[in-house]
Amino acid sequence: MKRIPIGWLFILPTIVFLLILTIFPLVWSLGLAFCSWKLAKGGIESHPEFIGLENFIEALNADRRYWSAMGYTWLYTAVAVTVEFLVGLGLAILLSFKDFRGRKFFRVVYLMPMACPPLGVAFMWRLLFHEDVGILNRILTAMGLGRIRWMTDPWTARFALIMVDVWQWTPFMFLALLAALQSLPVEPYEAALIDGASRWQILRYITLPMLKPVITTILLLRTIDCLRLFDYVYGITRGGPGLSTESASYYIYLVGLSYFDFGYGSALSYILLIMMLALSMVLILRLRRGL
Amino acid sequence: MAKKRNAKDVLTWTVIGIILVAYLIWTIFPFAWMFITSIKSRAIIYKPYFLPFIQFQPTLENWYNVLVGGYGPRAFVNSLVVAVLSSFLSLTLGALAGYGLSRFKFRRWKNRDIAVFILSQRMMPPVAVIIPYFLIMRTFGLLDTWWALILAHSVFNLPLSTWLAMDFFNEVPIDIEDSALVDGCTYLGTFLRVTLPLSVPGLVAIYTLCFIFSWNELLFALTLTYNKAYTVPVLIAGTLAFQQMAWWNLAVYATLAIIPPVVLALIFEKYLVRGLTLGAVKF
Repeated sequence: MKRIPIGWLFILPTIVFLLILTIFPLVWSLGLAFCSWKLAKGGIESHPEFIGLENFIEALNADRRYWSAMGYTWLYTAVAVTVEFLVGLGLAILLSFKDFRGRKFFRVVYLMPMACPPLGVAFMWRLLFHEDVGILNRILTAMGLGRIRWMTDPWTARFALIMVDVWQWTPFMFLALLAALQSLPVEPYEAALIDGASRWQILRYITLPMLKPVITTILLLRTIDCLRLFDYVYGITRGGPGLSTESASYYIYLVGLSYFDFGYGSALSYILLIMMLALSMVLILRLRRGL
Repeated sequence: MAKKRNAKDVLTWTVIGIILVAYLIWTIFPFAWMFITSIKSRAIIYKPYFLPFIQFQPTLENWYNVLVGGYGPRAFVNSLVVAVLSSFLSLTLGALAGYGLSRFKFRRWKNRDIAVFILSQRMMPPVAVIIPYFLIMRTFGLLDTWWALILAHSVFNLPLSTWLAMDFFNEVPIDIEDSALVDGCTYLGTFLRVTLPLSVPGLVAIYTLCFIFSWNELLFALTLTYNKAYTVPVLIAGTLAFQQMAWWNLAVYATLAIIPPVVLALIFEKYLVRGLTLGAVKF
């Protein structure tokens, strides 16, 4: 093996960059979480003041708005990831059946949503949801179904956001699963066919077990990304109607950078960070094993 | 017997075909409606017309307004500068680190621990650092400049680019490098003259992914820019607040914001999934 110091020269810039621009901010944010530092009369207070655990106590005991946002974030994640996975798996299986002409065309068109800026997607869907400009309600009316109050009813709005997420990110599940399906070995299938296994048995006892590592990885990745939910809320509902579609990230953003309550915002962001840490650790350990 | 089987096949394929086409429509319809809205004149914006030339006369008036005047051109320049430079920074640092991790063996910390440390930054929710970022950039007077956003986006993409570069370099055979070293090339020389040219496709793919992520990013841009360095997503988000009813311009902005990443994604389709799954799935 080659000498070590030269190796360090290659990775040192990245390590230093990350230490300065992620680890240091995270440490600062942790410090702020134990302080009170906010916008007061005449501008932002000049110095943070140490107040111990008060921010955390307030967040855990009294902040119902935060926990409602957190609840919605988890509900959103659970529903969106499940639907995306099932639809993605279905499509991947359909497209992997046989190599027919035009398969590439479907794959390429299907992937388009996931390259788009989420905020662009948000406005694209506003154009569909909107009462006057939007077309969805007109289509529903024409089909004889009633109009839906997309943005004015709390539960419809909550599910409308999930629908947008499903639209944009099902392709991710689909493409990852399709790629994984196509790289599976043929032998187990041949053996199963000889033994007279049904399609369902093949799926249940051969395909899914072989796909398990990929499935776990993409489910974790999607869950971690979903829990960051911000762009759609900012772009489509701004947390409304009322506070019904506020997500944890959106509320933290408001507290920190709209109400300029840096201390409390940092404490809230640390609670989210800790909640996501466990999930991230699982994913990281999985990826580490692959090295 | 043969005929019966054939009938069953036809039925299966019809069902599959219907599902695939239905999903195709679901995917394309929002794009189509956005584009159609962007070529409607203001007078008919609220009418449910769908077919240009047949149901209504399309117009480029909205496109002209957005592209020539207003805030649009500036936002595009900002987005482009930030994405081009931040991706370049991510790629440079990431390629170096990826090469180091792929070719050298570290003793005190194992290679995979370093790699995992770098990757772990990718899992952090961005909202956890926006407050310190805001304060840091304010301290250095970088708020509302390109630099703030370039730094933020390159750090944000760095774990991904390092991880993928490592993955790509692992696939470049080490023997060629060894012979270059034997012939008297330095380590840096080997990296620059032998390994880099061999891994150009991978590096281009990494650059493209970083570009797409930077172009699409909203939260940092919203936090760090206001009225000079705003990017396209910030502009779109703000347009709504300022001009409640300007759906015609919004449709144009959204279309323009979507075109570059989608075109890039279609070109680099192969690498997109590999990148987004952090190399867990390879085509």
